[in-house]
Amino acid sequence: MNDTSAVKYNFIANLLEKIRKFFKNVVRVFFGNRRSAFGTSVIIFFIVLGVFGPFVFPYSTDISMLDQLLPPSWSHPFGTDLWGRDVFRQIVAGTSDVLAIAFLAAIFSVVLALILGMFSGIVGGVFDKFIMFLTNVFLTIPSLPVFLILAALFTVDNAVSFAIILSIFSWAGMCRSIRAQIISLKERDFIQICKVMKMSKGHIIFKELLPNVGSYILINFIIVMKNAITGSVGLMLLGVASFEPTNWGAILTSAKNNGALINPNSYMWLFAPILCIAIFQLGVIVLSKGLDDTLNPRLRVM
Amino acid sequence: MSTVKRVLKKVWMFLFQFRYFFMKLGISILTLCAVVLLSFILIVNMPGTVIDSFAMQLSIQRRISMEQAMILAKQMLNYDPDASLISRFGVYIQQLLQGNLGISIKNNAKSVNLILKELLPRTLFVSSISLTISFFLGTFLGSRTTWKRNSIGSKLLDGYIVTSNAIPDYIIALILITVFAFRLGIFPNQGAYDAMILPGFTLPFILSLFFYATLPIMAYVFSQLSFWSMQMQGSALGVLGEDYINAAKARGLPKRIIVRKYLKRNAMLPLVTQLAISFGVMFGGAPLMESIFNYPGIGLAFSQAIVERDYYVVQGILLFVSVIVIGVNLIADTIYSIVDPRIRRSA
Amino acid sequence: MENIIELKKVTIDYNLKKYSLRAVSEVSLPIKKGKVTALVGESGSGKTTLATSILEVISSPGVVDSGEIIYFGDKVPFDITKLSEHELNAFRWKDVSMVFQGAQSALNPIMTVYEQFEETYRVHHHRLPKAKLVKQAKKKTIELLNFVNLDPDRIMPMYPHELSGGMKQRVMIAFSLLLNPKLIILDEPTTALDVIVQGYIFKILKRINVEMGISMLLLTHDIGVVAEFADYVAVMYGGKLMEYGTTRQVFKEKLHPYAKGLIESTPSLLSDIDQMKPIKGSPPDIRNLPHGCVFHPRCDFCMDICKTIEPVDHMLGDHLVKCHLVEEVDAR
Repeated sequence: MNDTSAVKYNFIANLLEKIRKFFKNVVRVFFGNRRSAFGTSVIIFFIVLGVFGPFVFPYSTDISMLDQLLPPSWSHPFGTDLWGRDVFRQIVAGTSDVLAIAFLAAIFSVVLALILGMFSGIVGGVFDKFIMFLTNVFLTIPSLPVFLILAALFTVDNAVSFAIILSIFSWAGMCRSIRAQIISLKERDFIQICKVMKMSKGHIIFKELLPNVGSYILINFIIVMKNAITGSVGLMLLGVASFEPTNWGAILTSAKNNGALINPNSYMWLFAPILCIAIFQLGVIVLSKGLDDTLNPRLRVM
Repeated sequence: MSTVKRVLKKVWMFLFQFRYFFMKLGISILTLCAVVLLSFILIVNMPGTVIDSFAMQLSIQRRISMEQAMILAKQMLNYDPDASLISRFGVYIQQLLQGNLGISIKNNAKSVNLILKELLPRTLFVSSISLTISFFLGTFLGSRTTWKRNSIGSKLLDGYIVTSNAIPDYIIALILITVFAFRLGIFPNQGAYDAMILPGFTLPFILSLFFYATLPIMAYVFSQLSFWSMQMQGSALGVLGEDYINAAKARGLPKRIIVRKYLKRNAMLPLVTQLAISFGVMFGGAPLMESIFNYPGIGLAFSQAIVERDYYVVQGILLFVSVIVIGVNLIADTIYSIVDPRIRRSA
Repeated sequence: MENIIELKKVTIDYNLKKYSLRAVSEVSLPIKKGKVTALVGESGSGKTTLATSILEVISSPGVVDSGEIIYFGDKVPFDITKLSEHELNAFRWKDVSMVFQGAQSALNPIMTVYEQFEETYRVHHHRLPKAKLVKQAKKKTIELLNFVNLDPDRIMPMYPHELSGGMKQRVMIAFSLLLNPKLIILDEPTTALDVIVQGYIFKILKRINVEMGISMLLLTHDIGVVAEFADYVAVMYGGKLMEYGTTRQVFKEKLHPYAKGLIESTPSLLSDIDQMKPIKGSPPDIRNLPHGCVFHPRCDFCMDICKTIEPVDHMLGDHLVKCHLVEEVDAR
């Protein structure tokens, strides 16, 4: 082999090795302990359901008053709603909407908190003080009322608009923590060494600071996902936001508004979305606890 | 030194001594300004159609012409699309400083202040009872289970905490009202007290108040108990690592005294500021919870006003709640620094 | 010479989630009545763990895995490790008390000094009627604070954070005397304090030992303190007891290389700094103790046998040494 192909070979080999290591780490983090494994499985289950479910269990909006409020059976595992439509298929169809809301909201919040937090910590000065003031404001004001106002002012009917509004409040707490971590990291020895060795700012930011806040970000990403679901369903129940009619929260609202609280025949209609929401949230919470165990090891007492 | 300089120096020393308090006060005031700004933006965005429909209402009610009604409407609502934003802001601030929070458009021009006065006590009633129960019960459970990590009680509590975190409070509320109010008919499904009983300091009335508040309180407590238990567990874990716990054990103090006076009391201190934040959070959750229980507090009024686009009610309640929350946070911060003898008496 | 405490093959483990650490391994040690026994060792040698096991207050998750700790009090001797929680609480502080390391945080921050004294007194005298109890407690507290040269009126209503380091330590010493114990364990009582306060504190401790006849177990890594103050010395390393004897025996004969190293590494006013010899190497990793004799990697006299076989306890009269060197000499 001549020189250039040897170099290429090395480069590819290195790259493959890095990818392999990366995947190994991912598996360790997400399936490393019982909780993480359970939580991740739940989320993957719903992702699969959301992506492939509608093909396996297609849902049509046809009304069939004859089949109104049927009890659970093999053809209708969750029964039917007031208009004879299969509740189970509605839930399957709405899974993707729910997941979109959760992920988008988490992404927006985390990115916003990360950018502002890191800048605040690294740059300092007036910028820092201003950001801290903002976080203070957003942490003090009760969020739901302002949520409602914003939701009413700017119609919230899809995942993106909801994600934006939710991130307005979710970023504040995270931003503070990230900034605090950056500040404490800045003073630590290995950063000073980097400075002395005159490594570029970019290198310091991406290779040294970021990985340290990485675990915190991952855990909070999960937590924001949970809050996004809770918040979106809450908004739907209040009638200020309307997503896809198959969104679990929409099914829930529809059930509530059409007498599900009173009519025992509708209990399944009401209960099914609650069950799915609860399972999803449970998976998310357990995953966050599992990640915490893996990424923040503490000296454990037996 | 001249007298002026001496006086200035005294003022400066006073400010410096309590500098932390003044800093917090300053931030609180600025936060309040931000909220006022937000409210103003809300008002300014009120569409003209609202004025028209209000004017129509007025003209019918007071039997005046539309033109007169329009003028009256604009006056009552402080609405002047021709004036500049700045002057409108000035008028708005003036109105606020006079303590006037505006009027309800949908509710016969009823003063928002009046609405608040009527409904606030109900929300406060439910909130404070729920908070008290959750806080004391939660800190008790949290400190007990931290000491003995492997007991049955500890495992039960952990299970409950996970469940409570997975199910949002409003869903608990839905379940409660469905089962206990609609299905079993034990509890009422709306109202703050029995409409048949006259309000007053009579026993039947007070009992009725508690009875109607039971379901909302249960829902709140179910959700918040887990929060306080977790907070306490976290704080208590930190305290457990402190030397004085072991030292107390070495002195032969029995477990119950250590848990109560050494663990719980020390772990509770950092939770005091959390108490204030929780208060704010409860006000935040009120719109949804109260609408599910049909409990007539300011939360229900708020969510109804949003749906009905009753702008002034919305901004009025928002401002009021924000003031309370900001104020409570400030007080809690101050109380914490007084209550913790370490900070209080540091030379 | 009577013993007040006899530790017999005590082994203490820290049971963590994934593995166990053996902090103390088969230590047998007498504590002579009325005398001062020093327990010497580097940080991590297991001395605090061993000392706290006497009161069964080892930091969690430490547990006594095997062995006995016999207490010879007024009544029939008993094994402390076999006591019930209730019996332990009666025993603690009354027969044996302790002055913790870094008394900085050994007091409850939200209670005044007097409140804590009275609380301990009350718990141990719960049969007394309240008025009598308060009177006795107060009297005793004032008496003890005076003994350590603190002004009771000033100190009693104070909160712990208002006291200086030296004051806090004296309060803790006074506290340890509250129930007239037979033995006081002192864990590095003067480590965080300056030399002048140190001298002061030791004067008080000497008075307690001589005037009141209270036995003492003194944990320290300061050889100077040992030489001046202790009657008996026990040397620990890597969780094992390396040497035990009277101060004179251990210092004069310098039998165990580690003890010898410790003594010789102490700077002295009289000799040159060049003559000071530190012990090479660093303290062992408890998870990965060396084979054979625990000390062998750092020992100047290490032989082949030291690397593989653990030395037994060799007794030269009362003098215990755990070293192959001694066996060899003896064999000759």
